[in-house]
Amino acid sequence: MQQLFDAAMFGSTLRIMTPILLAALGGALCSRVGLFNVGLEGLVLIGAFSAIVGNYLFGNVLLAVIFSIIIVMLFSALFAFISINLKANAIVVGISLNFLATGLTTFALRAIFDVKGAYYDKDMVGLPKWDIPLIKDIPWVGDVVSGHSPLVYLGIILVIALQFYLFKSVSGFRLRSVGENPIAAQSIGIKVRGIQYGAVLMCGILCALAGAQLSLGQVTMFTEGMTAGRGFIALVATMLGQANPLGVMGSSVLFGFMEALSIRLQGFSLPTHFTLMLPYIVTLVAMFFFKDRTYAQDALKAGGSSR
Amino acid sequence: MLLEMDQITKKYGGFTANRDIRFNLREGEIHALVGENGAGKTTLMRMLYGMEQPTSGTIKVRGREVSFATPSQAMASGIGMVHQHFMLFPSFTVAENIVIGREPAAAGVFDRKQAAAQVNDLGQKYGMPVDPWKKVSECPLGMQQRVEILKVLHQGADIIILDEPSAVLTPLEVKELLANMKSLAALGKTFVLITHKLQEVMDVADRITVLRDGQVTGTLEAKDTNVEELSRLMVGRELVRLDKQPSVPAEAVLQVEGVNLSGAKDRSALKDIHMEVRKGEVVGIAGISGNGQSELIQVIAGLRNADSGRVLLSGQDTTNWPVRRIREHGLAHIPEDRYMWGAAKDASVRENGLMGHHHRLQTRGVIKAKAARAMVEGWIKQFSIKTGSAETKAQFLSGGNLQKLIAAREFAQDAPFLIAAEPTRGVDIGAMETIHAELLRKRNEGAGVLLVSSELSEILQLSDRIIVMYEGEIAGELKADEATEEQISLLMAGGKERI
Amino acid sequence: MNRVKETLRGLVQPLLAIVIGLLAGAVAILIVGGNVFETYAEMWKGAFGNFYFFTNTLARSTPIILAGLGVALAFRAGFFNMGAEGQMILGGLSAALTALYLPGPGWFVCIAAIVAGILAGGIWSVFAGWLDARFGMNLLITTLLLNYIAIYFGGYMVSYPFKDRTGSAAMAQTPMIDQGVWLPKLFQGMGLHAGFIIAIVAAIVIYWFTHKTVTGYEIRMLGSNPSFATYGGVRRIRMMMLSMVISGGLAGLAGAGEVLGTQYRFLDGSLSSASYAWSGIMATLLARSHPLGTAVAAILLAALQTGAMGMERNTDVPLEVGSVIQAVLTLFVSAQIGYSFLKRRKEKKSNAATV
Repeated sequence: MQQLFDAAMFGSTLRIMTPILLAALGGALCSRVGLFNVGLEGLVLIGAFSAIVGNYLFGNVLLAVIFSIIIVMLFSALFAFISINLKANAIVVGISLNFLATGLTTFALRAIFDVKGAYYDKDMVGLPKWDIPLIKDIPWVGDVVSGHSPLVYLGIILVIALQFYLFKSVSGFRLRSVGENPIAAQSIGIKVRGIQYGAVLMCGILCALAGAQLSLGQVTMFTEGMTAGRGFIALVATMLGQANPLGVMGSSVLFGFMEALSIRLQGFSLPTHFTLMLPYIVTLVAMFFFKDRTYAQDALKAGGSSR
Repeated sequence: MLLEMDQITKKYGGFTANRDIRFNLREGEIHALVGENGAGKTTLMRMLYGMEQPTSGTIKVRGREVSFATPSQAMASGIGMVHQHFMLFPSFTVAENIVIGREPAAAGVFDRKQAAAQVNDLGQKYGMPVDPWKKVSECPLGMQQRVEILKVLHQGADIIILDEPSAVLTPLEVKELLANMKSLAALGKTFVLITHKLQEVMDVADRITVLRDGQVTGTLEAKDTNVEELSRLMVGRELVRLDKQPSVPAEAVLQVEGVNLSGAKDRSALKDIHMEVRKGEVVGIAGISGNGQSELIQVIAGLRNADSGRVLLSGQDTTNWPVRRIREHGLAHIPEDRYMWGAAKDASVRENGLMGHHHRLQTRGVIKAKAARAMVEGWIKQFSIKTGSAETKAQFLSGGNLQKLIAAREFAQDAPFLIAAEPTRGVDIGAMETIHAELLRKRNEGAGVLLVSSELSEILQLSDRIIVMYEGEIAGELKADEATEEQISLLMAGGKERI
Repeated sequence: MNRVKETLRGLVQPLLAIVIGLLAGAVAILIVGGNVFETYAEMWKGAFGNFYFFTNTLARSTPIILAGLGVALAFRAGFFNMGAEGQMILGGLSAALTALYLPGPGWFVCIAAIVAGILAGGIWSVFAGWLDARFGMNLLITTLLLNYIAIYFGGYMVSYPFKDRTGSAAMAQTPMIDQGVWLPKLFQGMGLHAGFIIAIVAAIVIYWFTHKTVTGYEIRMLGSNPSFATYGGVRRIRMMMLSMVISGGLAGLAGAGEVLGTQYRFLDGSLSSASYAWSGIMATLLARSHPLGTAVAAILLAALQTGAMGMERNTDVPLEVGSVIQAVLTLFVSAQIGYSFLKRRKEKKSNAATV
């Protein structure tokens, strides 16, 4: 048992939760402007793929991440246009976006790299591991906190930054008003559409970072469908956290921990299938226990019927 | 002249909402804009507030021609609007709601303390104090309206448009509102009061402009006119006097015994309700909406379960029965919100009309499509429902026509007990008269009718007995021919006078 | 006359979507350096070129039609049932196990296996429905999560307890089903099997059910406005469970059909890799949840997929171009849903301007 809950385990939690956290923060922003973004899964997948492509094209991790951000922002702009300007049902658009992501990444994998299934280049350099001076020498805490990719730390900083932005700044206040009552906001002269676009684009940036962490953060490779439902788990994290950055952080830590645990358990003699199931079962259980947290349920209903 | 609107016309495709309207405002006056539902009052004011643009015509503020493409531009010219449906943010505080858009800030950080101070100052200055830190969702409706007014004052409005402000207020709150308007006008503010409540108009207005079918039928000084003349200008003819024979009530078709229902925040939605409706009579429930009428209807119709008590329909205990069983036992229901409960906007007129009849019009699980269509087409003829065809989607019907469809559908149940909740809300006079006539016909044929309405005139016109609800309880019960508006208003406001 | 115009207008959008999809595909083809016309010609041949390919396309469309019908029904009722993949897998698994271990004459076991598949899919689906009805757990997300659980469960079952240990192959699959239990082929030497007939019959039955029966009416009204349906006496929970059961059952039937008609065993990942369930969802979106339209869209998508395979065989263009076309098609249709809504809102404003 002690083997299970050691420093490496908690360190892994931080690393593994980062894609979920970043995507969930993006989902929270969309939720706060009244758009329930089911397409997080697709956006993160595109982000993961674009990061690899960017790395391939530029040979530089920073440029790869920037490239990924630009590409994902284009797709989130598409989502915004169809959901906002064309007034399509955001849920249907999100689902379609996921299809688009799968199709395009599969195609591009063939077209660019001429491989099926996965792309791996052993010479490709992934995200660096940052050792934080001073902290890294603290026993146990140092092992947990230090030595992660910069995106892990960025994620944590973004939680604090977004919490401040949403609840202390004027701009964040107006953003929240858009989701709370868009008609009222419009009647005061708040630029509802502009704010919605801004939130969706920011969500795109966050999903790109999430994807980059996935494909460049540990092992530098892209596998078809590598998001494996994390975009939907991120959506649950948003709902449980009630679109509140600190709350989202809490649920992301939980889900990250569970995924890290399931990977650890693979070393034991359980069939891998059950350990792989664990994150999804845990998410269901979390939804059960926190069934009253319905903030985004209203957003879901606002998305209208599935017809 | 502070404001002049000249030759204003507004068309939506083939439909003309406003035609050649002339409307002007003197500084410091309270100017009422009256007309029945659908006359074009809100459309006109939306143009003044920058939410719509006129198809043709000019607007001049202090002599200078203006055009408002957005509400912000109207606000910049000193025009503010308090909408019929409040434009508030429920989870935000009072201060946040008032200052939004002009938040006091330092380097992008919202200074909430300063906002509260501004709100307190404003409240003092205009005699409408509010608690800046309270969440708006926790404020009563009268307080919420105050927040809306303070909001436009904070925006620097000199011209304040109030759209049907008294719809959701208790009579006491209405008195306060009218008094506030008068004192603000004395301080130099100008008001446009959109309403169809003619008595209020006579109480507070300086001048009155009457709209009918999108055109001005008269602009008068209040002191030179009266309710009858205004009514005539609004409607264009004498209101049809309903021929109401005295009721000959028989045995009870609805009995409500000791029904209790808990509501939000430890308050009861319904407290110990005892009432009955007999065959051949109309019982009208009067009261400001939000005092338990909706909940009572939902309990009776089976849409909600009571915590305790019984409901008996035609002598049978139907408490907590499923909706379908109650309906089949003999209940029809014209719901208070036609878009939420009464219809499916994506479905056709025929499909909407089928609801409630679909178990009857079937053979072994298959719907009798021809019979259904014939039935609905019969209603279209009988009630002059304006629609392209029975296949038109419900969302393309006007409010009045959709309400007629819903009413026809429920009348066709020939149920011994009929609930009519806000049956003519937002409906033109023609449809209103049709529905009223049919309700009385049902009553004369021996059905028991439970009428719920926030329009006192409707209650007085149709009811044989009147029950007033206040805060989830029955505040009083009166015979209609003995009741006066004053008595009912008092009970509606919580006064304890009982007959 | 109005109805003819409305139908024609309704056709313009899907046709436009197909054109846009083919344009996107053309761009993709050009990117990989192929010739657009040659490539599309090969695509057409791959889907419909000869009888063999044509029956292949129909065979491929069978599970897509069934899964799509299930999703269409759920969507019509207002429920975002995204669990077709998991329901299909469990359906296929149950059918395989029943076919392998139930004693009896071939035709009997075959029917029993089909029923087992339907039941498994239905139960997995209604479980998610129950979680929503009883505990308020968002159906869209729970069905998605249950997919993954079903996939891994299926993988486990054929990697350990029910693994095919005959022969030297170490694949995660069940043993092969006895030939007597197979769904019969419709044509000698072609892949098309009786499952296709079942799929077409199912499409007609589901159409008739949703549009002509009382229960179908209640389900449609529930999807259009749940409050209205409740007000009119429709029992929401009951209808939801019914829709979810039928929806999952159809997906399970899709899995059973594949197992009994094409693969003759349950193979871990085979149903997922072919993306039958997701194509079914796409078909529903393309057809706006209309049962007959979903069947047509399913055949169209199957044609795209088999055509793309043919394209890859005979040109240098990868079959993934097909995925691009499908995805762009679906996105365009979802956008069009909004476009027509926008047009209607303008009409509505002119007809029924309120005070």
